[in-house]
Amino acid sequence: MRLPPGPPSGGDLPEETARSLGAETWRQFRRHRLAVGGLVILGLLTVAVTVGPWLIPFDPYRIEASTANLGPSLTHLMGTDELGRDQLARILVGGRLTLAVSAAAVLVALVVGVAVGAVAGYAGGFVDNLLMRVVDIFYALPGLFIVILLVALIGPSFWTIVTAIAVLSWMNTARLVRSSFLSLKEKEFVEAARTVGASDARIVLRHILPNALSPVIVAATLGVANAILIESSLSFLGLGFQPPEATWGGLLSEAKSSVVITGHWWRGLFPGLMIFVTVLSANFIGDGLRDALDPRSAGNKKG
Amino acid sequence: MVGPYIIRRLLQAIPLLFGISIIIFLMLQMAPGGPLASGEAQASVTPEQIEKLRGHYGLDDPMPVQYLNWLGGVMTGDWGTSYDTGQPVLEAITERLPTTLVLTGLAFAISLLIAIPVGVVAATRQYSAFDYASTGLSFAGIATPSFWFGLMLLYVFSFQLDLLPSSGLTDLRVEHTGLAAVWDRTLHLIMPVAVLALIATANLTRYIRSSMLEVLGQDYVRTARGSGLPERRVILQHAGKNASIPVVTIAMLMIPDLFLGAVITETIFSIPGMGALFVHSAELRDYPVLLGILIIAALLVVITNLATDVIYGFLDPRISYQ
Repeated sequence: MRLPPGPPSGGDLPEETARSLGAETWRQFRRHRLAVGGLVILGLLTVAVTVGPWLIPFDPYRIEASTANLGPSLTHLMGTDELGRDQLARILVGGRLTLAVSAAAVLVALVVGVAVGAVAGYAGGFVDNLLMRVVDIFYALPGLFIVILLVALIGPSFWTIVTAIAVLSWMNTARLVRSSFLSLKEKEFVEAARTVGASDARIVLRHILPNALSPVIVAATLGVANAILIESSLSFLGLGFQPPEATWGGLLSEAKSSVVITGHWWRGLFPGLMIFVTVLSANFIGDGLRDALDPRSAGNKKG
Repeated sequence: MVGPYIIRRLLQAIPLLFGISIIIFLMLQMAPGGPLASGEAQASVTPEQIEKLRGHYGLDDPMPVQYLNWLGGVMTGDWGTSYDTGQPVLEAITERLPTTLVLTGLAFAISLLIAIPVGVVAATRQYSAFDYASTGLSFAGIATPSFWFGLMLLYVFSFQLDLLPSSGLTDLRVEHTGLAAVWDRTLHLIMPVAVLALIATANLTRYIRSSMLEVLGQDYVRTARGSGLPERRVILQHAGKNASIPVVTIAMLMIPDLFLGAVITETIFSIPGMGALFVHSAELRDYPVLLGILIIAALLVVITNLATDVIYGFLDPRISYQ
């Protein structure tokens, strides 16, 4: 399908100069049309949920009997719920929460995963063994059950939900970082840094870590998709944010009887569609990044 | 060779299970409020009664003692009793486990039945319309939240068309017998199984396609073709067998995911299984039941991992058992 990265065979870039990893990655990424599309959509969504609630003329929390259960129209693009609240307004404020929780969870998981992976890979030996057994144990934990449990027991606050998702999502990053560290710490440039007297902390943070981040970025992007699905599931089970706050999963949970008993399809269609589009975009971006960052991955192979 | 290998893997699973049980136990202990928090809030419960209950359930013992007591009980079949109903935990679980296992098993079978032919055909006709359609659908399937899919199915098949029942496992209005009962059960299972199978099917289709593509590019496949074997045999025997090795791993590892996914499915369709029990118990902080279900789920993960390793060993003779 695509040519392997490296010196261009001529034509598109006449004067070949050394390109930074970032520029090279962007160049590869841009060729992945779906990934670019995903990036555009996710960007628009982020802007929409950030500024959108101020722009639309409806209050997502205001109960108004005269506008209850209206189907989609030009005034209420996504219809209204049984309390007369505009669904688009609710989707925008709910999306803000969903995206914020997911982003925070991925960041926390990233920090934990990088820290554990770096220590395990750099220290090696007993420490490595011990930490990897801990990773095994966390992999064997029944994920969704643990998230439900933590949130139900501690209470559904923003940081509880973030922590619960993060607790179950750091292991991939830890494994990836560890294996990068294991191979990178034997490289000449690390030895060179050690010879000139750099401290362990400096070697890890300044020399090895930046070279170990590529696979982590891909994992983090796919992690966003996963976090959104977990948060939505939790809210759908009624264990996430409590009313009147409602994320996309919460809106679907509230909509169940409206959809199934009274047939108000718009209540079910739109919140789910938002989750679907967001997760799809994040997956496309992740795939595009993987192809761009990893020259061996399928997308860069010939044929 | 295979025998000692299995035994060694079994022995390795023991510390893993210990680790899991300790983490789960600690998580439950760390929760603020404690198991009797909901009772304490009620004015009708006197402090003396709380004290008695604490003694009865051993909640004043030091944590390691509580853990060992509980673990000893688990080993000997005494999983405690539900704080909520007083029912023995093991009984509550065994009542509901079959429902969830049937749901999981059916969803697993259906996803294999769809994903294998679709993935293989998509790989053998790379870049055809069929390939694009199936790849696109798998991407969509992976991004579809199962509860949304379920809700939309309910709208179409229960509300609009009135073809399928919207909840439960049996028709409570009419007593069915014989074939009618089987048919009734089938109707009730169609949507839940479809919802549960969706993501697994989408994931498996992608893996099978890429695994087949990888193998089809190998020299021995060209050799098989070149020696004039019928295409059918090349694909099924030479390519398919080798492509199946990574697929088996992925497929087996999906079983625990399906089991966990059943929580959502059971909630949408009001099916009285393990997932519904778990959510209910989590809301009530019914610790013994929660611990029991978590241990069952963790056991399932460890057992499927073990089974995957063993099957892998049989499929791929290159694996060393050292």
